[in-house]
Amino acid sequence: MKYLCVGTTPEADPEASAEVGRFLSAELDLPLRRMELPPVDFAFDSRRNQYGSIPVLEMASGLCPEDALKLIGLTERDLYIPVLTFVFGHAQLGGRVAVVSLARLRQGFYGLTADREIFLDRARKEALHETGHTFGLVHCVDRSCAMSLSTRVQHIDHKRAAYCPACLRRLSKGVIT
Amino acid sequence: MKGHWRILVVDDEAVMCESLAAWLREDGYGVDTASSGTEAVALARKTDYAIYFVDLKMPGGMDGIETMMQVRRLRPDASVIIITAYATVDTAITAIKEGAQEYIVKPCNPEEISLLVSRIVKVKNLQRENTILRKKLTRQYHFQDVISKSARMRAILDLAAEVASLPSTVLILGDSGTGKELIARAIHNCGQRASKPFVAVSCAALAETLLESELFGYEKGAFTGADQQKRGKFELADGGTILLDEIGDISPKLQVDLLRVLQDRTFYRLGGAEEVRVDARVIAATHVDLRQAIAEGRFREDLFYRLNVIEIRIPPLCDRREDIPLLVRHFVERFADELGKDIGEISEGALKVLLDHNWPGNVRELENAVERAMVTCRGRVLGEEDFAFLEQDGSRARSCPVPVGMTIQEMEKLLIAATIDAANGNIKEAASRLGIDRSTLYEKIKRYEIARP
Repeated sequence: MKYLCVGTTPEADPEASAEVGRFLSAELDLPLRRMELPPVDFAFDSRRNQYGSIPVLEMASGLCPEDALKLIGLTERDLYIPVLTFVFGHAQLGGRVAVVSLARLRQGFYGLTADREIFLDRARKEALHETGHTFGLVHCVDRSCAMSLSTRVQHIDHKRAAYCPACLRRLSKGVIT
Repeated sequence: MKGHWRILVVDDEAVMCESLAAWLREDGYGVDTASSGTEAVALARKTDYAIYFVDLKMPGGMDGIETMMQVRRLRPDASVIIITAYATVDTAITAIKEGAQEYIVKPCNPEEISLLVSRIVKVKNLQRENTILRKKLTRQYHFQDVISKSARMRAILDLAAEVASLPSTVLILGDSGTGKELIARAIHNCGQRASKPFVAVSCAALAETLLESELFGYEKGAFTGADQQKRGKFELADGGTILLDEIGDISPKLQVDLLRVLQDRTFYRLGGAEEVRVDARVIAATHVDLRQAIAEGRFREDLFYRLNVIEIRIPPLCDRREDIPLLVRHFVERFADELGKDIGEISEGALKVLLDHNWPGNVRELENAVERAMVTCRGRVLGEEDFAFLEQDGSRARSCPVPVGMTIQEMEKLLIAATIDAANGNIKEAASRLGIDRSTLYEKIKRYEIARP
């Protein structure tokens, strides 16, 4: 049976990785396997002081085990795509891999006191969001759905760590795998 | 609504192009990419993209501004967003002057792009809805949409189309429910006044004084309750067309007032001393035999000749039965859509019932009958049983005693009273059964002094 793979780069928060894996496995009702991913220093852009999410995604794609249904990578690095200032995560729409950056999910990034629960909650939601894209789900108009677009961390806090009934229906029809 | 709109991203840097396209696809849009201005223009010829993201600096002799100008020549309604990594005030001004909807500097905040695209799409959705509604509205009232294959009706439509471009007054004669207002609207929509207002007034529905203030308006203080000046229907129709429906029912005083408006194109508001001049084309309509009304002294001959410059007489449905199948199919299609019912056909038996019916209420009665049948129909085909009410209504009507020696007016009064009674006093239902509109029924109740249950 196909399984969900959660990969973690060496610097990524191990507790967040464990929590995201457990949550995605339960939410999507899929067996879970974990893997270690190599550092993503090769994707560093010194002019932006950020890491390109496209090369990271390409690397993940090359490392995704053949028998894995999806590979969701977690990194502490702040990711970007060339046209945007940052991304919380990046996925192959209808593909097999996605990557989530934990950098901007921490309260500390915004000069606030660290809050572990808020951080883990955001990590769960972002991972579920990017995984949804790999199943072919696009952004949802329901602001409480995990598939709604988040361009600010507050948007992540407002939504639920679950798909709305409409997205669940699309998923059950196998939007795309 | 996102899926309707396609976006083209134009950038010579493949990674820029693909990353923006991928991000927009995640947002649910259909996105294509082009690596040069030439490729973008070629794609624009084939596909009607709603939004273009165009990089300002592209090699190969065709930069973002030139690409935008060529695209806008092909697709004037498209929204172009210029993106650049090297923003200057000059390039921003040039881009906007040449028609760019927005100018953004990359890398940009995800929220900025998201809000920009959703704002453009929102406007485009409204524009599309507006276009569809306008088309729907005007389509309903053009000659080519009047459903008929009867030679007599086609000749009438040809005449109406011919007079549409003339300023002359038109008198439309025909029984209730034959579509007099439809023809009047079509004349308006096909003439030079189409972009100006079309104002319809039902003269039968209002009492004399009310009708007077409706038609000519009033000044502040003209009567108790006139706390501000009000413009009348003639003024509202200035530059356009006014339809005076049921003109045969207006009072002698109003006939004189109307005659003056038709002669001089001027009138006074109620309580006013200032002459008001209007340029409104007048179309009058009635089911009353005006020549007979003149003979009986109920209608002014001079007003009749003023109104009767061009006469259009619409035949009753029973005189053009060949149109019944066409009309029925049209109504079935329309009501299936409006009522959300999966009914697309009518059985031969049911069509025969409709062909054999007398249709005293004409097309309106037929329309009501099809709607009523479709509401109660449980299958996908309208059958004879769905029109059983026609027979019941008919037998109810047949049960009305009509002694020889009775005048037509007396018979009409009897029929109306019996129908209202059969509909338990429900005027809407009674009007529907009689095939006339409610205002006509109210006017007849008033005229015949029929007591309501």
